[in-house]
Amino acid sequence: MTDFLLENSWIIPIYSLVGALLTLPWSLGIIRKTGPRPAAYLNIVMTLVAFVHSSIIFKLIWTRPAQQFIFHWLQVADLDLVLSIELSPVSFGAMELVTGISLLVQIYALGYMEKDWSLARFFALMGFFEAALVGLALSDSLLLSYCLLEALTLSTYLLVGFWYAQPLVVTAARDAFLTKRVGDIVLLMGIVALSNYGEGLNFSELDTWVEGHQLDPTVAALLGLALIAGPIGKCAQFPLNLWLDEAMEGPNPAGIMRNSIVVSAGAYVLIKLEPATTLSPISADALIIIGTVTAIGTSLMAIAQIDIKRALSHSSSAYLGLVFIAVGLRQVDIAFLLLFTHAIAKALLFMSAGSVILTSNNQNVTEMGGLWSRMPATGMSFVVGSAGLIGFAPLGMFWTYQRWFSGSWDVDWWLLLLVMFVNALSAINLTRLFRVIFMGEPQIKTRRAPEVPWQMAVPMVALTVVTLITTFTPIKWPLWLSPNTPLSLEQPELINQYAIPLLIVSGALGCVIGLTIRVRQAWARSSNIAVRFVQDLLAYDFYIEKLYEVTVIAAVSGLSKLTSWVDRYVVDGVVNLVSLATIFSSNALKYNVSGQSQFYLATIVIGVGLLLWSMLHGQWSIVTNYWSSIM
Amino acid sequence: MLSALILIPFLAAAIVGLTPLKGTICRNIALVTAVTTLGINIVLGFQFDFQHPGWQFAQDVPWIEWIGLNYHLGIDGLSFPLLLLNSLLTLIAIISTSQGIQRPRLYYAMLLLLSGGAAGAFLAQDLLLFFLFYELEIVPLYFLIAIWGGAKKGYAAMKFLLYTALSGILVLASFLGLVWLTGESTFDYQTLREHTLPLGSQLFLLAPLLIGVFIKIPIFPFHTWLPDAHVEASTPISVLLAGVLLKLGTYALLRFGVGLFLEGWVYLAPWLAVLASISALYGASCAIAQTDMKKVVAYSSIAHMAYILLAASASTRLSMTAAVFQMVSHGLISAFLFLLVGMVYKKTGSRDVNYLRGLLNPERGLPVTGGMMILGVMASSGLPGMVGFISEFLVFRGSIAIFPIPTLLCMVGTGLTAVYFLLVINKVFFGRLTVGLPKIPPVKWKEHAPAFVLLLLIFAFGLKPDWVTHWSEVQAIALLTGG
Amino acid sequence: MVSTEVKRSKSYFIDEYIARLEKGDALLDDTPQNLVEVVGILKSYGVVLDAYSVNLCYIADTQFLKLFPFFKYFNGDVNTKKFLKFLWHDRINYEYAEYCMKAMFWHGGGGLDAYVDTPEFAAATEELIKAYFKYNPLMIGLHKAFKDFLPEQMRQMAYYSGLGQFWRVMSDIFINLSDSYDRGEIKCIPDVVKFILDGLVADAARPITYTVKVRDQEYDILPKSAGLTFLMDTGVPYVEAVFFRGTPFRGTVSYNAQAYEISYDLGMFNYGALYADPLPIGGAGIPPTLLMQDMRHFLPDYLQDIYRQNVRGEGDIRIQICESFQKSMFCVTTAAVQGLAPHPLNTEDSEEQMANRKYLKGWLNRILESQILKVNNQKTAEVS
Repeated sequence: MTDFLLENSWIIPIYSLVGALLTLPWSLGIIRKTGPRPAAYLNIVMTLVAFVHSSIIFKLIWTRPAQQFIFHWLQVADLDLVLSIELSPVSFGAMELVTGISLLVQIYALGYMEKDWSLARFFALMGFFEAALVGLALSDSLLLSYCLLEALTLSTYLLVGFWYAQPLVVTAARDAFLTKRVGDIVLLMGIVALSNYGEGLNFSELDTWVEGHQLDPTVAALLGLALIAGPIGKCAQFPLNLWLDEAMEGPNPAGIMRNSIVVSAGAYVLIKLEPATTLSPISADALIIIGTVTAIGTSLMAIAQIDIKRALSHSSSAYLGLVFIAVGLRQVDIAFLLLFTHAIAKALLFMSAGSVILTSNNQNVTEMGGLWSRMPATGMSFVVGSAGLIGFAPLGMFWTYQRWFSGSWDVDWWLLLLVMFVNALSAINLTRLFRVIFMGEPQIKTRRAPEVPWQMAVPMVALTVVTLITTFTPIKWPLWLSPNTPLSLEQPELINQYAIPLLIVSGALGCVIGLTIRVRQAWARSSNIAVRFVQDLLAYDFYIEKLYEVTVIAAVSGLSKLTSWVDRYVVDGVVNLVSLATIFSSNALKYNVSGQSQFYLATIVIGVGLLLWSMLHGQWSIVTNYWSSIM
Repeated sequence: MLSALILIPFLAAAIVGLTPLKGTICRNIALVTAVTTLGINIVLGFQFDFQHPGWQFAQDVPWIEWIGLNYHLGIDGLSFPLLLLNSLLTLIAIISTSQGIQRPRLYYAMLLLLSGGAAGAFLAQDLLLFFLFYELEIVPLYFLIAIWGGAKKGYAAMKFLLYTALSGILVLASFLGLVWLTGESTFDYQTLREHTLPLGSQLFLLAPLLIGVFIKIPIFPFHTWLPDAHVEASTPISVLLAGVLLKLGTYALLRFGVGLFLEGWVYLAPWLAVLASISALYGASCAIAQTDMKKVVAYSSIAHMAYILLAASASTRLSMTAAVFQMVSHGLISAFLFLLVGMVYKKTGSRDVNYLRGLLNPERGLPVTGGMMILGVMASSGLPGMVGFISEFLVFRGSIAIFPIPTLLCMVGTGLTAVYFLLVINKVFFGRLTVGLPKIPPVKWKEHAPAFVLLLLIFAFGLKPDWVTHWSEVQAIALLTGG
Repeated sequence: MVSTEVKRSKSYFIDEYIARLEKGDALLDDTPQNLVEVVGILKSYGVVLDAYSVNLCYIADTQFLKLFPFFKYFNGDVNTKKFLKFLWHDRINYEYAEYCMKAMFWHGGGGLDAYVDTPEFAAATEELIKAYFKYNPLMIGLHKAFKDFLPEQMRQMAYYSGLGQFWRVMSDIFINLSDSYDRGEIKCIPDVVKFILDGLVADAARPITYTVKVRDQEYDILPKSAGLTFLMDTGVPYVEAVFFRGTPFRGTVSYNAQAYEISYDLGMFNYGALYADPLPIGGAGIPPTLLMQDMRHFLPDYLQDIYRQNVRGEGDIRIQICESFQKSMFCVTTAAVQGLAPHPLNTEDSEEQMANRKYLKGWLNRILESQILKVNNQKTAEVS
């Protein structure tokens, strides 16, 4: 039985895909008399099946070596496209995370979306989303991963666009798709090039190929950069980070998935691609630089947000920035731990945020307050989720940092400083949020705030427990990817001794600042111009969006208008003129050819001429009008 | 057997056109004819040996011997997918024609003539015969646009006629020149292929041929007739125009450009690749600025057809197969998009991107059309799982080794596809329904049937691309080996 | 219906509508088509409200303080057949009733809102909680740690009950109205308004009470002594919360805090039933779809026939229902406006008239921002 399940584990993504397809009768409006909830139940059941299936194999796979299944997709000419999947503790660990969180989120959505008549479409999209994510966890082929990343791009577009009639959704969905697509297309360029250099596109083969390749350094650098472009878009890293902010227009349950699992999916591919980033030092450096810029920038942006979802989503970018740095430093085990811990804690925070939003009909944190005593599940989730993210409380992220700086890995002072910075800002942000949402006096919108119904409360409580339990992951299983423990340094250096105390101090400092800092009042602004400027600068994401508007977007739209104009008035006109001239001058041809052929030509030309004449008969006015109109 | 593919439509056209039948009967005759040809094509597909390069089921009858014209038909891996596409899209065009069309006898006669003509061109093994069909298909199309077109149909039809007639003359000039220079007295393709002309002569003959087919495909800067023709043509005609007739150009490009003038082709290839990337980017760029949905699809067509030129110019074993695949892929996707845009136009009376809004509204909008449109533009912008991705992937993968820069530029064009289509989709289908839009009549499931069929194929070939590639792989590669 | 092509200013319309109301007319134009739609839709609304009301009262009476009210929509009748039916979502969408209840609870206003914050209410709930969780130290512990958690749930329950009792009356009025129409007693829109007004007035002083039972011991959560009455303590807050304010629909309004689309001041909210745009009904993120969906099952045949004649037939029935529903709600609003007026609206006394006009102006300022002009096919000038 278990062997059967193991051999057929490729079917796990199919479950949720089937679930998605089963919703069609409702989402297409074929069943109209009764409601769409069966579609939701079907999807939850499918996800449960996927979760159980992957759990069974996860237990099994611990004791076995990683297995690969190879599927020849397409053999054409000299190209053999192979899709392969890998069954290993890592892939099933990732799959557990995906199916588990997806299951909780879907139950949560049953409560959050209970008033939405398009429930079937929502669950169809969630099913599709989940299928792509599970597939990504299993995939061992760059091509397959690319395909699934694109599927994610599409489902993000559709999920963000779920409330399609809402004006801001219209642009948010478009921007989310296009931003991710930029990354995807560059990644595709990388894949096409890589495939062209004789590479089989399997992650496992990539490793050996990278060591033996003989590429020109420039080409290698470009290739490396192209390959990391996809994850940059997916993980909302600078300069492709803004979509995540905008994507918060979508329904919150999808937002939970997006901020925890989807951004992680991009990073997961990056971890798998890690060998390729060592193609050239430039691509590894690029990862570190991008990660650093994003971590610092988005940490700052997060503390200036007044929208609860946006304050949390910018923080996702910041943590993913740390993951990028870890991958750039080739410390993939740490990257994996960071991803894992962040995903669970962030999912919990977003669930908590969702229930606050639903209860208060509001996302503006400056209009909240005093929820703590009335919403125990929500409040506890927020506290535990925050604790899981801040390297101060002894939960997941703390132990992850501890692993990072304990001496097993080669770390530097700048890295410690950066992590302290991110940690402190994250602490400021989360304590600030906790304070304005749960503490203080209730405001008008939080005056009546009963706790959410069980469909939402149960997943929250469950995930709270999971967050507490998974604290042991970084402690007990710090190595998922490296076969051996990296060599411990004989003599712990100064940095290893001071790192943990310093991180605790940074976290504590952040909490203190977060608790004491003056927070913005609802609909009131500081009168100090400098404060306002900084606030706005951060709140509007350093005006990066505006920058894009006046550069890239303006360029594309200007260019397209120009080409369109040229097309309409120049190309059309000139070609019309030339073709007219050619028709008449083609008669000249017949003087150049001789004998038999000349006769043929004359016949045909005359024939075509007659043909034309007979067709144009009676329509000369159109012809003359036409030519006079363009000349 | 092969003659049937030409004769049945012609005969049916004659019956429909020359006898005083009622409109519905005409429609039924046309349907039966289309189904029959599709059936024959499918049977041929089963009997066809795709591993064997060269013509099969050939028929060779001397016709007008004194000018060297033979009625020589044959089918190979290059022409088979296109024949199948032609018969399928003809059927879809007939189904999607409105029941109450004006002057049905003439309409269906012209449609069948068009289909038969296209089939003849794909089947012809004789250069002159090809030319005859190539020209023949212009006439019905001219009438189909000029009579059943939109507001500026006269202008568009005339422009189409002049451009494609010129295209024909140039192609013919090239053929005549070839026969003259080789000193043969026949237009037989196989015979002519055995000659290898000096490079200079090849270039001299290739140039008019290329310009001729560039007009047909169309490639920048010879493309301006196409947006006009598409916008004015009715939906079924747009489907055929984009799905089949443009393919005559790319077919001629591969069959004659590569097949007859290989050395000259290779000599010009770098320039052609550059031209392809310009055309792709130019088409995409123009598409962004359009406000007529149909024009967006038309310019997108220009951009996507350019990939075929890119693949053909790279002339690798993979890229040649990919070129044929891209023809099929583009045929399906653009036909699909034209059907959907046609549906929007039919129901709302508008294609204006700045006017239409919120058509996804499930009660009073066109939600299913909108949903399929989203899938269609995703297919067009190369989303994996659908046929557009794998055909473009093969084009790029096959070309990048030879022409890296043009290939990368074309990939940028692929990225732009998402831009222009998403701009349209998000404006037209998202948001609140247009204020003051008259009530949109409902769409029956039956009306969507043709689009469903195409969507199914788009997914099927996207997931199992070898179903298409194995048709043409051997023959496409064989084109690269001289004579 | 004569559509006035000329665009007019808001103050013009205020005068026009004051004249209308003083004449005894309704906000809604009096046309035969409107009458059929209003009565027909109120009939099905009455049926749906009956179900909602029964369920709200059931939940309030039996499902209070339950953490997992799995079968709260079953009204105590759980069997396999019903379970399968509910699984297939072949049921009334009680979620909408809860949605209205939550909106009412959230917006507050009226005596009920004030009462649930009193020490009496707190004492009663405290006693109830102690008794209910007598053998559940875990929950008592939780209650100690989060002292407002369970009382807040009970406040919500009080609203469940309050809205349930309010809708009981409304449901009866609407069904009686329909019966009266079927008997030929209702001839025009003012008749409809009068019928509703009479119903409201008859029950205006009906007390709103809420008593629950734990182990045979009764607990008066809303005792009769609190003096809560039907019209002023549930009716008026309901109209304010559901007809006028409402909550912004996800499907049309962005909750993004930095977009500042939603006002800080709840008094500025205009997302209620009178304001909502019917066109997005049926789409994503539009909760009233649930109500329209429920009503489609109980439409009288004559109304169903009218809907079928439309271009889309039954395809857009939910939007059509919503359009009719909005018309009917303008009649209910007219009744409320008439009922709450300081003096009879047709008074001849000029002082009373002045007072009335001031009162009406206040209402009309808000009502004219709603869909009323669109419903009556009048065009307003851009600047108001």
